[in-house]
Amino acid sequence: MSRKAVGDDIWKNNVEKINSELFTLTYGSVVAQLCRDFNNNYHEVNNQLDKMGYNIGLRLIEEFLAKTGVRRCQTFKETSEVISKLGFKIFLNIQPTIENWSADGKSCSLILPEPNPLTEFVELPITADDKIAKELWYSQILCGVLRGALQMVQLDCDVQFVKDVLRGDDRTELRLKLNKILKDEVPAGED
Amino acid sequence: MSSYYLAIIGTRDNPIYELEFASFKNTTILSSPSTPNTPPPIPGKARFAPNVKELLPFIANSSLDLIEDAQFTSNQLNLGKIDTFYGISINAFITPGNIKFVLCYDGNVKEENSIRSFFNEINELYVKTLLNPFYAVNDAIISPEFDLKVKQLARKYL
Amino acid sequence: MLYSILILNKAGGLIYQNEVNPGLNKLSTNDYLVLAGSLHGIHAIGAQLAPNIGDKTVPASVEEFNRNQNSSIMSTFKAQSPNTNRSGLQNIETSLFNLYIFQTVTGLKFMLITAPNPAEHKGELNKQYDMAHELFRQLYMLYSDFVMKDPFYSLDMPIKNPLFDTKVRELVN
Repeated sequence: MSRKAVGDDIWKNNVEKINSELFTLTYGSVVAQLCRDFNNNYHEVNNQLDKMGYNIGLRLIEEFLAKTGVRRCQTFKETSEVISKLGFKIFLNIQPTIENWSADGKSCSLILPEPNPLTEFVELPITADDKIAKELWYSQILCGVLRGALQMVQLDCDVQFVKDVLRGDDRTELRLKLNKILKDEVPAGED
Repeated sequence: MSSYYLAIIGTRDNPIYELEFASFKNTTILSSPSTPNTPPPIPGKARFAPNVKELLPFIANSSLDLIEDAQFTSNQLNLGKIDTFYGISINAFITPGNIKFVLCYDGNVKEENSIRSFFNEINELYVKTLLNPFYAVNDAIISPEFDLKVKQLARKYL
Repeated sequence: MLYSILILNKAGGLIYQNEVNPGLNKLSTNDYLVLAGSLHGIHAIGAQLAPNIGDKTVPASVEEFNRNQNSSIMSTFKAQSPNTNRSGLQNIETSLFNLYIFQTVTGLKFMLITAPNPAEHKGELNKQYDMAHELFRQLYMLYSDFVMKDPFYSLDMPIKNPLFDTKVRELVN
């Protein structure tokens, strides 16, 4: 792993790449196994995926900051831009779009482009079990990752799925909402 | 216009998928059919005689033994024509995971190549189905999308 | 030459200490904890003591600086420095050692204790800072890889990871 000086191209040199099919199949087997373990209680599966994502996010943020050197964002708009242009690009190589800003600028929608690397080749078995299409959010882990990562930079957020192509909707949409900025946890010496 | 019966059979000789269809080529409707009682041919709908239709799953299953013998003699996945049964020819394809695709059809000598390509495309579709985490090997394939795609391939190759 | 590395979590507790080259007095573990805690406190007080160079635009310029840095990263897609230590204690330079403090957005502090500035070469003061800074960047990446990705590591706890130690030693040598 070569480490270059400041100013170097993030994507080309510093980001390790793996086979996307390996990633997709691994994530798919995690979700399928969770469904079996919890006896098709999809609400519980969503919770577990969210918890897993939260733990990942707490740790992933350090790698993100180390590799990009992004500074504290001044507005939530900036935060969402950084998430979509840098965060998703570095870890999943997709670039979601941001839409639907609320009036107070505290919540927005992230639209994940197709193809979503987590859901390639996946089809929900609707004919076998029609609850699955109404209850399971397949990519719920992403919500947890965003929540965990933002918590480590002192932003308390709620992230939820609103639409999912796997369920038959026209696009995959996440709703990102800022609850509060944890001002007392901001480290000293930053300004 | 020949009719086809495709069956996908799993490793425990259990059927996973089956489809009856007819060739989509040559769909001209004869104005005066030879026997006045036969209904005009509907393109795509299989036209097996009723007694033959009942026997099709049996014919497909009985060819399984032949497939298993043939698989050790040839190192090809596509086994070609392995049997005939009173005018119905049977072609087979075996996947590396021991899943068998069996195609029964009446009619004359078909181009081997079109059936070969048809089987190859079905194999691709089957592999994509396997990649779905919610699908286990030997499960029945009940996805309507799979069905639709098989029909499109049939239209394209047969 | 680097003498020692200290890593503090955001609460100011010491989570990692490694003496890479001899040259400093040996301290007991307890003393290192006390040392780390004191430095954490001094770093924070430094932020309050730093003289405001007169005008009200000083805080605004920090926001401006952050915004510019972020937009330059997003447009050019090139990495920049992850050090956010601006008004806290940054370096201490003495005749026996130099101490550099770097901080990340998540509150993690890296402290590098190095040999003092060479007396003869005036121009090397900056170079020493640059080298320390480069070391910090690489240490931060090692931390994000070998400590964060260890599934058995709990956050903010002391780092007891032989792989991380090996990699740090490799980096320094």
